[in-house]
Amino acid sequence: MHPFAQVLLDGIFTGSTYALMAAGLALILGVVKVVNLSHGAFFSLGAYVAYLLSVQGVSHPAVAVVLAGVIAFAFGVFLGKSFINPVRSHPFSVAVGSLGFAILFEQAAQMLWGPHPVSIGAGPPWAAVSGIFVRRWGAVSLAASVGILAALALFLSSRWGLPLKLIAEDEEIAESAGMDVEKIRYLTFGFASATAAAAGALLAPATSITPTMGRVPLILSLIVVIASGMENVLAIFLLAVGLGLLSNISAYLLAPQWSYVSLLTVICLLLLLRPEGLFGTVPGRDY
Amino acid sequence: MQRKLTGALALGSGLLLFLPLAGLNPFFLDLLTSGFFLASYVGSWDIVGGVAGQISLGHALFFGTATYSCALLTSLAGWPFAAAAGAALLFSTGVAAVVGTMSARLKGPFIALLTLALGEIAHEIMLGQTFFSPRGTYSWGGEGGVPVTLPWEAPSPWAMYYGALLFLILSTWGMTALARSKEGLIWTAISGSELTSRASGVDVTRHKWRAFLVAGFFAGAAGVGFAAHVGRATTSDFSLELSFQAATFAAIGGRGTIVGPVLAALFLHVLFQGAGIVPAARVILYALALLLVLRFFPAGVAGTLRERLRARKMVSGGEGR
Amino acid sequence: MRRLVIFLPVAILALLLSCLASWAGSENAEPIRIGVLAPLSGPFASGGSAFLQAVTLAAEQANSQGGVLGRHVDLVVADTQGRVDIARSEALRLTSQEKVFALVGAYLSEETVGVIEVAAASRSVLVVPVAATAEITDHVRKKYERYRYIFRVGYSIPQWAGMVADFLGGLRIARYAYVGAGIRWNRELAKALRQALARKGIVPVYETFYSPRNPAFEAVAVAVMARSPEVLVLGDPGGNSVEFVKRVREGGALFPILSVGGALGDARVAATLPLSAPLYAQAAAWKGASAAATRYAEAFERRYGYPPVGYSDTLPYDAAMLLFSAIRAAGRTDSDAVVTALENGAFPAVAGTYRFDTSHQATWGTPELHGIVIRWETEGARIVYPDSQAR
Repeated sequence: MHPFAQVLLDGIFTGSTYALMAAGLALILGVVKVVNLSHGAFFSLGAYVAYLLSVQGVSHPAVAVVLAGVIAFAFGVFLGKSFINPVRSHPFSVAVGSLGFAILFEQAAQMLWGPHPVSIGAGPPWAAVSGIFVRRWGAVSLAASVGILAALALFLSSRWGLPLKLIAEDEEIAESAGMDVEKIRYLTFGFASATAAAAGALLAPATSITPTMGRVPLILSLIVVIASGMENVLAIFLLAVGLGLLSNISAYLLAPQWSYVSLLTVICLLLLLRPEGLFGTVPGRDY
Repeated sequence: MQRKLTGALALGSGLLLFLPLAGLNPFFLDLLTSGFFLASYVGSWDIVGGVAGQISLGHALFFGTATYSCALLTSLAGWPFAAAAGAALLFSTGVAAVVGTMSARLKGPFIALLTLALGEIAHEIMLGQTFFSPRGTYSWGGEGGVPVTLPWEAPSPWAMYYGALLFLILSTWGMTALARSKEGLIWTAISGSELTSRASGVDVTRHKWRAFLVAGFFAGAAGVGFAAHVGRATTSDFSLELSFQAATFAAIGGRGTIVGPVLAALFLHVLFQGAGIVPAARVILYALALLLVLRFFPAGVAGTLRERLRARKMVSGGEGR
Repeated sequence: MRRLVIFLPVAILALLLSCLASWAGSENAEPIRIGVLAPLSGPFASGGSAFLQAVTLAAEQANSQGGVLGRHVDLVVADTQGRVDIARSEALRLTSQEKVFALVGAYLSEETVGVIEVAAASRSVLVVPVAATAEITDHVRKKYERYRYIFRVGYSIPQWAGMVADFLGGLRIARYAYVGAGIRWNRELAKALRQALARKGIVPVYETFYSPRNPAFEAVAVAVMARSPEVLVLGDPGGNSVEFVKRVREGGALFPILSVGGALGDARVAATLPLSAPLYAQAAAWKGASAAATRYAEAFERRYGYPPVGYSDTLPYDAAMLLFSAIRAAGRTDSDAVVTALENGAFPAVAGTYRFDTSHQATWGTPELHGIVIRWETEGARIVYPDSQAR
C-alpha cells in the first residue's frame, strides 16, 4: 500500500503548485477583472532570478524570493499602469496584450540567458517517514500555497482588504466613496505578479528552468481559477489539490500518458454538470 | 464608408490576382497561399469569438479535425481527395455541433475554458496516437503527423495560389454576409448582452449553437485547403498555439468585423514570414505589435476605427448607414 | 609631358588588367550558399540554437582554412518554428529565393518530412543531422530517383537502440525500465530497445510515457521505484528529463539512469544533479574520445564559452563537415556529383568515419562510427563506452 500512499501525498503537493500560481491569477481576475496571460512569464522570471543568484553563489531561497518579488512588482505595476488600466474596457484585448508581454519576456529570457534548460541543485533528499518520502519542494510548495491563500483570505476579510472587495463588487460605488480605483488596480496587479515570481523563485530548484517554463503552470492555474468560480479562496485550493491528486492517481493507476487528458476530461464534465460554476457562483458579468 | 471599404477590398483582391503574373517567386506564392488559408481560419474564429462574442480558445480543434480527416482518409483509407475533403467538412462541422451543444448552457469564461480543454484533449490524443502506415515499415501519427495523399504529384504553385485566393475571397464574403444577415444581428445582440437578448425572446442557446456550427464549417474548410497545400496533417494543427493565434490576430484586426481579422492575419503572416526578419526580432515584433496595437486600438484596428467613425457621425449627426 | 604620354597607356592597361582580374576573381570566389533550417524560437529553440551554433562553427572553420573549393561558405539561416508548414515554406525560400546550393536540417522529424519534399523537388542536397524518423530514409529506398538528394547523418531509431543496448549489455544487468515522453519517436525507440535487449536476455520491468504538458513525474518515479530496475533508460532529450531525474533522486532511488542524449549531456545542468547513483548520457562524440572530437569540443567551448552536449550540436557539426567534404570530393557544386560523392565516399568527422547505406543512412553502430556513453562524476564526464575508449 505504500506506493499508493506516496502517490496521494505527491498528488497533494502537485495540486499545491497549481494553487500557488492560481492565487495571484484569481486576485487579478477579482479586482482588475481581466484574465492575465503574463502570469506564467512572471513565474519564469522568478525562477531565473533564483538561478542567476545561485550562479553568483547566493543560494538562500529567501533572498531569491524577495528579489524576484520586488522585480516582478515593478514590472507588474508598469504593465498595469501603462497597458492594463488604459485598455481595461476591452477585457479580451487585455488578455491578448498580456500574452504579448509573456512572449516578449520569453524572447528576452532566451536572448539573455540562452534557450537551453538551466538548473539549480535541489539539495539532498529528505528522510522517509515510515517508508513515505516527503519531497522537500512539495512540502515547500504546500506550505507556501496554504500561506499565500490564507493570507489573501485574511487580508480580504480584514479592514484593509475592504477597498479591494468593494472594487471587486462595484467599481462605481468604490470610486464615489473616494477611492483611487486606478491605483488600487495597478498595485493589485503588481502584487499578484510578485506572488507568481516569488513562487517561481521558491520552486526553481525543483524544476528545469527554460524561457517557456511558465506556459504549462499558466494553463493549469487558469483552468483551476476559472473552474473554481474565481472568487472563493478555499474553492481554488480544494480544486487545485483535487486536480493534482487526480493527475497523479490517473498517471499511477491508468498511464502517465493520460494524466493531462483525464484532468481535462474531468474539467469538461464538471462544466457540463455545473454550468453555473463549480461552486455555484455566477460570474458577475460577461467577459 | 461602406462603399469605400468595398472598393479598397476589390482593389486588394485585384492586386493579389495580378501579383503572380508580376513574377512572384515560388516562395512568395507558397507564403501567400498558406496566408490565405490562415486568414480564412482566423475569420472563422471571428464568427463565434467576435460576432457572437463566445470566446473560443480551442478553435484549432475544428481546423485539426479537418486536416486529420483529409490525411487519414486519403492515406490510410485510400479515399480520393475530393471525397475525403467532403467528409472532413462534415466532421469539422459535426465536432463544432458537439462543442456548440456542450457550451450551450455555459457563459463567458466557462466557454473559453471548455473549448481550451477540448482542444487540448484532441492535441494530447493525436500526440499519443500512432497509425500503422500501409507500407508497414514505420508508423504515422504522433508528433510527425500523417501525410495527405493528393491527386497530383507536384501541385502547380499557381493553381494552389489562385485556388486559395478564390477560397479566401468567397469565404470572407460568405462570412461577412452571414454576419450582416438577420442571424448575424442576433449573434451581435447575444454578444452585447445575453440577458437582454433572452428578454427580447431570442432562443440564445440555439443561436450560439449555430454560430459554432458556421465557425466550425469555415475553419474546417480552411483546414482542408491547408492540408492540400502543405500535404501533411501534424499535431500543431490541434495546438493551443494555433488556437491562440486565431484569437490574437482577431484581436489586432478588430473582433467582430470579420474583414479586420482576415486582413490582419494575412498582413502579419506575410510580414513575419516573408520580410526576412531575423527570428528574435520577429518574435519581439509580434509581441510589441500585440501590446502597442491593442494599447492604442483597444478594439483592434478595424474595430476602433469603426467606433471612432460612429462617434463622429453621432456628433455631426450625419446621414446614418 | 613625355613621361605622362608613356605613363597614361600603362596606367590604363593596368586599370583594365586589374578590372579583369577582379572580375575573374569574383567569378572564382563566388561563395557557396548553404541553407540552415532549425527551430530558433519557441519551445524547441534550445536544440535549434545549439544546431545553428555548431553549423556556424563548422562554416567559420572551413572559411578560415580557405573555404570549400577555394570559395567562401555563406550560411543562410531559416527558423522552422517546430512546424511542418513553416519548415516547408522556409525551405522553399532558401532554395528559390536565396538560391542556396544545399540544405542542412531540419531538427524535428515533423519539420524534416516537410523539407524533404522541397529538397527533392528542387534537387538540392539535404543533409539531415538529428531527425530520426524512418520515414526519411524510407523515401530514399522506395523512390530513389526523386529522393536521392537526402542523406541522414544522425542515427536511425534502430541504430540508436542498438548502441544503447550494446552499452547496457556490458553492464551485465537483467532488468531495465524505460521512461520517455509520450511522442512517437520515443515510443519507437522503446520498442527498438526492447527488441535489441531481448537478444541479450535483458527484459523491461517497466515502460511508460508521460504527457509533455502535465507529466506527473512523481507518480512515474514512484512506479519505477516499485519495480526496482537495475537501470532506468530516459528517452526524453528535453528539459523535462532534468526535472524527472530530480524527482527520482529525491525519492531516494539509487538505480543508475541513462539518458539517450540531450539536456542531460549539458555539463552545466549535470553539475546541479545529485550523483548518489550513476548518471550516464549517450552522445555522438565526446571530448577525449578521439583527436577530432577533442579538437571540436575545445573549439566549441572557445567559441561559445561552454562545452557541447554531444547530440543537438555535434551531429549538425558533422553534417556540415560531411557536406563540405563531399563538395570537395565532387570538385564542383553540382547536386548529382555531390550525391555520388556522398554515396561512395568515407568521411572522417568528429564522431568517427561516416559511410552511407543504400537508403542514405549513415552507418552508425560500426567500429568506425559508434557513439559514446559518458558517466557524470564530480570532476566532470568520464567516457565509459565503448570499452576501447573508456578512461
